[in-house]
Amino acid sequence: MVKKFFAITVGLLLPLFAVAGGGHSGVELHKANNDLRDQASLRRGAIAFSDYCMACHTLKYIRYNRIARDLSWTDEEVVAKMAKGLSKPVDPVMARGDLKAIHQVLGTTPPDLSLVARLKGSDYIYSFLLGYFEKDPKKGVWDNHYLPGTAMPNVLEDKYRFAKVDEREALARDLTNFLEYVGEPIKVKRWDLGWKVLLFLFIFFIITYLLKKEYWRDVK
Amino acid sequence: MSDVNKPMPERGDTPDFAKPGSLLHWLDKRLPLVETWNEHVGQYYAPKNFNFWYFFGSLALLVLVNQFVTGIWLTMSYKPSAAEAFNSIEYIMRDVDWGWLIRYMHSTGASAFFIVVYLHMFRGLLYGSYKQPRELVWIIGMLIFLVLMGEAFMGYLLPWGQMSYWGAQVIISLFGAIPFVGPDLAVWIRGDYVISDATLNRFFALHVIALPLVLLILVFLHIVALHRVGSNNPDGVDIKKVKGPDGTPLDGIPFHPYYSVKDSVGAVAFAFLFALVIFYFPEGGGFFLEPPNFEPANPLKTPEHIAPVWYFTPFYAILRAIPDKFLGVMAMGGAIGVLFLLPWLDRCPVRSIRYRGLSFKILLTVFTVSFIALGYLGTQPATPTLTRLAQLFTLGYFSFFILLPFTSAREKCKPVPTRVTYHG
Repeated sequence: MVKKFFAITVGLLLPLFAVAGGGHSGVELHKANNDLRDQASLRRGAIAFSDYCMACHTLKYIRYNRIARDLSWTDEEVVAKMAKGLSKPVDPVMARGDLKAIHQVLGTTPPDLSLVARLKGSDYIYSFLLGYFEKDPKKGVWDNHYLPGTAMPNVLEDKYRFAKVDEREALARDLTNFLEYVGEPIKVKRWDLGWKVLLFLFIFFIITYLLKKEYWRDVK
Repeated sequence: MSDVNKPMPERGDTPDFAKPGSLLHWLDKRLPLVETWNEHVGQYYAPKNFNFWYFFGSLALLVLVNQFVTGIWLTMSYKPSAAEAFNSIEYIMRDVDWGWLIRYMHSTGASAFFIVVYLHMFRGLLYGSYKQPRELVWIIGMLIFLVLMGEAFMGYLLPWGQMSYWGAQVIISLFGAIPFVGPDLAVWIRGDYVISDATLNRFFALHVIALPLVLLILVFLHIVALHRVGSNNPDGVDIKKVKGPDGTPLDGIPFHPYYSVKDSVGAVAFAFLFALVIFYFPEGGGFFLEPPNFEPANPLKTPEHIAPVWYFTPFYAILRAIPDKFLGVMAMGGAIGVLFLLPWLDRCPVRSIRYRGLSFKILLTVFTVSFIALGYLGTQPATPTLTRLAQLFTLGYFSFFILLPFTSAREKCKPVPTRVTYHG
């Protein structure tokens, strides 16, 4: 009976997890293989975000002090490293550029990236960052395999031209890691709490089952 | 309490704690506490042969409580306005203490509700629980299912993401397909010409007050109506026909403690799976929380592929399978409506599938396969091949209800035993 309960319920749930959501212009994505527990990578990613992305992109759903707390920085460190000391620790992460002016140049407003990892997935971010190619080398025009016709310039252009592939991939991985963290800052804590809850419920299950067995002994 | 030799109180005796002078006695004089407890719990005799399928009724109740409690806490931080709704969800996910857990419990609970309710309904089909004398239990149950769909649909708009917005847009536009009154009806539902702040506010009111209230009353009636006629069981045997010298059914056992303790085992097992999803798969593979919903609603940007949440997809697939929009809406409504008639479409007096003929087993298999296949097809973009398949399975779905009155009238059933089968 109990085994059946598990077998059937798990059987019913499994197909739901087998199918991943979303598809991106048919081009196969690269695995990001980022690690949310790698704090050094997250800190590098945060600084890289500040260096390469923050001119145009916001992370309006996260505050500097939250990043500091989760990435083991002090409040002073986080604003020094990410905002050049120009923001307060309680501020959300805003773009340094004037979004109206950027809109005039690019013809679109760069989206907020707080939830991009949940919207598109980490593999997409990683692939997108590495997916630029030079469409017209003479004019220096870049396009992207994963978002053809993107208005976003290749901000990692120097890494494409002058860095080794390994270095470029490592940078993309750190950025992806940081954006996945920003998408759901609680994720690692959720994982760490989950198994304890499951362990408790498992033990509680055995106790409840034995109680049931004891009561049902007199049912003939 | 220490006197173990004292005889157990007989049925109908006043227990010690309800003797004159006690608080319970005082209360019971003014409110039928003991009587109600005995009638519905302490001396409600349920068949002793309930199997795995009988967990889902109590689990549905558990999920309902989960939705109520987490819903109340979400309401404390959620802001029902087009400008603030999306932000307030992220506020709950990030800044409210344990807000992420409460929100995941609620969003996963919505899907869990439908899993549990679909299995509960399937149990009814397997063992003929909709048949005389339980027709009203089935009808009230169907009303619960209907209200639940409304509740889930309105709740899904509240996060104000892209899929919230466009899913609601598609579903409400269906009402526009009704001749003459359709367009006005759609405007009346939205409170605007498009989904807007006005729609969000009224959906919020309906989602947190009106429909939960209706749901609670219907669940109450569902249980009271069930207890009036008694529970069915996997053998479909009427346990009231064979009673012992004390007047209680020989194959019945008091709900408490036997089923309260057994349902607790089911509840903990369910909680384990529920926690597994909440802590490790809160998006449910993109089915419980759909990725496009992490982008705020944008009335000017239609997503490439709009699919309703998984629990609506069987009916959505039926809608799309019919080339004409109005007929599609009718077919979709009919697919749900025809379930209400089931007690009268099935003319076989035998309840349980264990003793029913081959024709019913074949029909139920076709129905179940069609329902699951339609559920899958409803999540996919409609290509010509898939639409053909959806049409085939729509036929399968309805053939159950169309053929059943004929096959069930002349079904060759096995003899039904007088007592339930139980192997302790």
